[in-house]
Amino acid sequence: MSKIIEIKVPDIGDFSDVDVIEVLVAVGDKVAAEDALITLESDKASMDIPSSDAGTIKEMKIAVGDQASQGTVICLMEVEGAAAAAAPPAAAKSAPVAAPAAAPASASHGGSADISCQMLVLGAGPGGYTAAFRASDLGLKTVLIERWDTLGGVCLNVGCIPSKALLHAAKVVDEAEDMAAHGITFSKPKIDLDKLRGWKDSVVKRLTGGLSGLAKQRKVEVVKGTGTFLDPHHVQVIAADGKKTVIKFDNAVIAAGSEAVHLPFIPDDPRVIDSTGALALQDVPKTMLVIGGGIIGLEMATVYASLGTRITVVEMLDNIVAGADKDIVKPLLTRIKKRYDNIWLETRVTGVEANKKGLTVSFDGKNAPDKPQTYDRILVAVGRIPNGKTIAAEKAGVAVDDRGFVQVVDTQMRTTQPHIFAIGDIIGQPMLAHKAVHEGKTAAEAASGLPSHFDARVIPSVAYTDPEVAWVGVTEIEAKAQGIKYGKGVFPWAASGRALSIAREEGMTKLIFDEENDRLIGAGIVGVNAGELIAEMAHAIEMGSNAADIGLTVHPHPTLSETVAMAAEAFEGTITDLYMPKKR
Amino acid sequence: MAKQIYVPDIGDFSDVDVIEVLVKAGDTISIDDALITLESDKASMDIPASEGGVVKEVKVKVGDQVSQGSLILLLESGAEASVNVASDNSQPRVSGTAAATPAPSGSGGGYGGAALEDICVPDIGDFSSVDVIEVLVHAGDTIKEDDALITLESDKASMDIPAPKGGIVKEVKVKVGDQVSQGSLILVLEGKASVAAVAAPAAAQQGGSAKSPARVPAAASSTDAAAFRRAHASPSIRRIARELGVDLARVVGSGRNNRITENDVKNFHNSGGQTAVAAAAPAAAASKVAPAAPATGMGIPLITQPDWAKFGTIETVPMSRIGKLSAKHLHKCWLNVPQVTHFDETDITELEQYRQQLKDRAKQMGFGLTPLVFMLKAVVAGLKEYPKFNSAMDDAGENLIQRKFYNIGIAVDTPDGLVVPVIRDVDRKGIFDLGRELGEISKKARDGQLKAADMQGGCFTISSLGGIGGTNFTPIVNAPEVGILGLTRSQIQLKRMNGEIVDRLIQPLAVSYDHRVIDGAYAARFVSYLAFILSDVRNLIL
Repeated sequence: MSKIIEIKVPDIGDFSDVDVIEVLVAVGDKVAAEDALITLESDKASMDIPSSDAGTIKEMKIAVGDQASQGTVICLMEVEGAAAAAAPPAAAKSAPVAAPAAAPASASHGGSADISCQMLVLGAGPGGYTAAFRASDLGLKTVLIERWDTLGGVCLNVGCIPSKALLHAAKVVDEAEDMAAHGITFSKPKIDLDKLRGWKDSVVKRLTGGLSGLAKQRKVEVVKGTGTFLDPHHVQVIAADGKKTVIKFDNAVIAAGSEAVHLPFIPDDPRVIDSTGALALQDVPKTMLVIGGGIIGLEMATVYASLGTRITVVEMLDNIVAGADKDIVKPLLTRIKKRYDNIWLETRVTGVEANKKGLTVSFDGKNAPDKPQTYDRILVAVGRIPNGKTIAAEKAGVAVDDRGFVQVVDTQMRTTQPHIFAIGDIIGQPMLAHKAVHEGKTAAEAASGLPSHFDARVIPSVAYTDPEVAWVGVTEIEAKAQGIKYGKGVFPWAASGRALSIAREEGMTKLIFDEENDRLIGAGIVGVNAGELIAEMAHAIEMGSNAADIGLTVHPHPTLSETVAMAAEAFEGTITDLYMPKKR
Repeated sequence: MAKQIYVPDIGDFSDVDVIEVLVKAGDTISIDDALITLESDKASMDIPASEGGVVKEVKVKVGDQVSQGSLILLLESGAEASVNVASDNSQPRVSGTAAATPAPSGSGGGYGGAALEDICVPDIGDFSSVDVIEVLVHAGDTIKEDDALITLESDKASMDIPAPKGGIVKEVKVKVGDQVSQGSLILVLEGKASVAAVAAPAAAQQGGSAKSPARVPAAASSTDAAAFRRAHASPSIRRIARELGVDLARVVGSGRNNRITENDVKNFHNSGGQTAVAAAAPAAAASKVAPAAPATGMGIPLITQPDWAKFGTIETVPMSRIGKLSAKHLHKCWLNVPQVTHFDETDITELEQYRQQLKDRAKQMGFGLTPLVFMLKAVVAGLKEYPKFNSAMDDAGENLIQRKFYNIGIAVDTPDGLVVPVIRDVDRKGIFDLGRELGEISKKARDGQLKAADMQGGCFTISSLGGIGGTNFTPIVNAPEVGILGLTRSQIQLKRMNGEIVDRLIQPLAVSYDHRVIDGAYAARFVSYLAFILSDVRNLIL
């Protein structure tokens, strides 16, 4: 399917009526996108005008000696299908290293469309709704597709938010219990599971309801159903009742997220749950095996342990909370080792058998028990896989790699189709809501023609365990691997008055500085509220702050935030709250 | 070979309890990995590895008591503990969350393959913290051994740093404006083998990899995303740079520690450094910003260029390297030194007669004998009598550094610009020696053959315009020296001597000095002493 399009002089800055001094193509020539068509010469400069599309020149509309301005038609071109589809070979050529998944040849949708929009966002998680709202605010007619009944995606419905509500409940239980050691003894908590679940659900409902309101106010049209691409400008949405809607779009943002990995050898049994099942809070099992010692598994373990479940964690790697430095994780490990039945590192689950008594699990590895163990419940939290293979991206000419990650080719979040963007979990690690939100804004702005790029240096990570573990920027592991000359400032919370007065002295604040210029390049914090404290560090890194900038900023006393300034002072050798003879 | 790793200096503690042993035989450890945890009654501390390797045998266990020097373990060094190098810097340095860990395929992280090698600044002599003025390679470039990688510029000279070997540039670790010393990392080089094969899955894993330029719509430029992100600029400045299309990697910051300010970005943009225009000539753009951002950081208002092309034909002529260097140096001197110029004159009638007598002898020996030779001798006599002129103020402004040697710099005009070679130990050389040396070094200067060493160690400078003309001028003190003698053409003037009007050959003298070190009266005495010495050549032997 080919069509004839006009190729015009693009925005050439402040010039108009510029002389055409050379015509570089002739009728019948095949040109690729970006091939030079004509040369213009103003009194300031001469410039080649590249072709915006690929195709065959049908007719030249301009000759040497003519004068051209923005919008002047250069030639008529016959293009194959939708114009942009011709570009993938160019991408492959210019990116030999990072084009693992070649952009597929796109399909073509011959039918009509039920809805037309300038911006289509596939997925209403934090990244998706942010992209949709921003695009709408920038004047684009926007449609938001969501397969669930409520907006907000995993984060609001079955992720960040409900888990935080339950973690708060867990914290209150634990703190009440801990106070017994300091002279205040509460009676054992009575847990009304229905009420607790109801409260959690109300928090979620309030937020997702708020989102619907925001969408309405902005006149963002929400289409419920599962969307798949038909071609580079059409998406088909199939609603729960089977109703099909075809939407035609100028620009799109793919924000279809990720889902929990399911282990094939684990039987399909209601007692085997993922994070969504855990948050549903059906009951409080007596024993639970958490497979995967990452953030999600450990947060859920924290909740259930406080509600009374005896927890065993099994992790393949040699440490929990992979990605963080070991010293930052250690206080958490120490605490949960005491509270949980077992934490088996470097151990894997080899089989699960569902029987009447429970789920009997066999293990293999360094710390594996001799005999299979039986649990009431298994939480599988071994990671999340992107939904890139579920959206028929290939029909849109959008490259997706083997693992399901949509390929993004620039800092404006463009995919191999320049008018289709992708953001959030579906494009890669880290799968974090705050990353998706910023990427979503960038994509919406770029689609609106703004020169926005995702230029953030760092993305903080937080495990909302007890104690919390948070880190940002370069870890020591990475600094060593990359050969960065770094220095660190460490402040143990045992020397913090505030930490002692909340009876949680196990924390630690560690700052990592570039030895060359003392600038902060990374930080790790473990302790109560580490997740709140890490934000200052992210800001400091983005601002290019050095140790003195942090240490000389007056932090309020007595707060945990002081530990940040103290760690900077420890690096500088100016600390007085500890005695640390320093070689500097 | 097994190495013994001991407890290092742990301060005043001894017989401290081992509460945790963090490694075991067979573990591969790298330097600074924690080996054991000790706990005294005051604090607990991790003992880091003093080097990397494979643990052969652990010699302590929990509950043991150790002191400084106790054996912790035996280490098999051999190959450096292997370190996985994350090769792609394009994504913000954030490691995966837990969710990242177990890939559905079950493969744990870490890609092997292509050997990455750090290329560092080699021995560059006495210099350290030298400015990078040009980066000649980019990530992705294929380079050969001895290809120039970067250009460094000290206050004395500039030099290219060649590649010690060939390969593909994986990542450039320096940018224009950085300061480097011997050992600073320039770039990461990838050996030629097996690049593409390994890199592909890596990129896939990155997902959001921003590096691949692929095909980017017109709006985006050739900006290197990683370098852009690393530039010393806050997020709001990064946004402004994006809006103006300015590549932050090429902007030199004028703020503290070279922070890039909003003004820097706007000036870069206004001065035509906009990426789209200047992409073809990064060097030219870089030099354009350099003067706009003086390294002194004194916050003086910038002078920006109007669009001269509006008023007539222009041509942009790159400055010579020497021109750029001396411009910067003179600017520094001018800003730092409160200078005063003292004028005087001296009667060199007799000196000139004496020179004429010696000239032919010198010519026979193969060199000329200019008046400058006598000036050198006279200046040394002056420095001996007025030693403050042969001193320098230390960096703290607390002490004078008094030099006990007499090396005199001579400003030489060359086709490429102004250079100041130094003649050493002028006090210990005779008139003929100096005449010969002056001839040689001037020729060297004009031929561009001077080495950095030829221009170092000067105590005082003479700038002679005698061959050209003028009646007087105010030379700029060549800091950190504190004085400079400026000479213009001597003239025959009518003078009254012993009641008679006679023709005398009069030499104007202009001495600029650093008023922080030298008072006006002291300077006046110094200059009149010079006049006295020169007025009768016999005074030189005083």
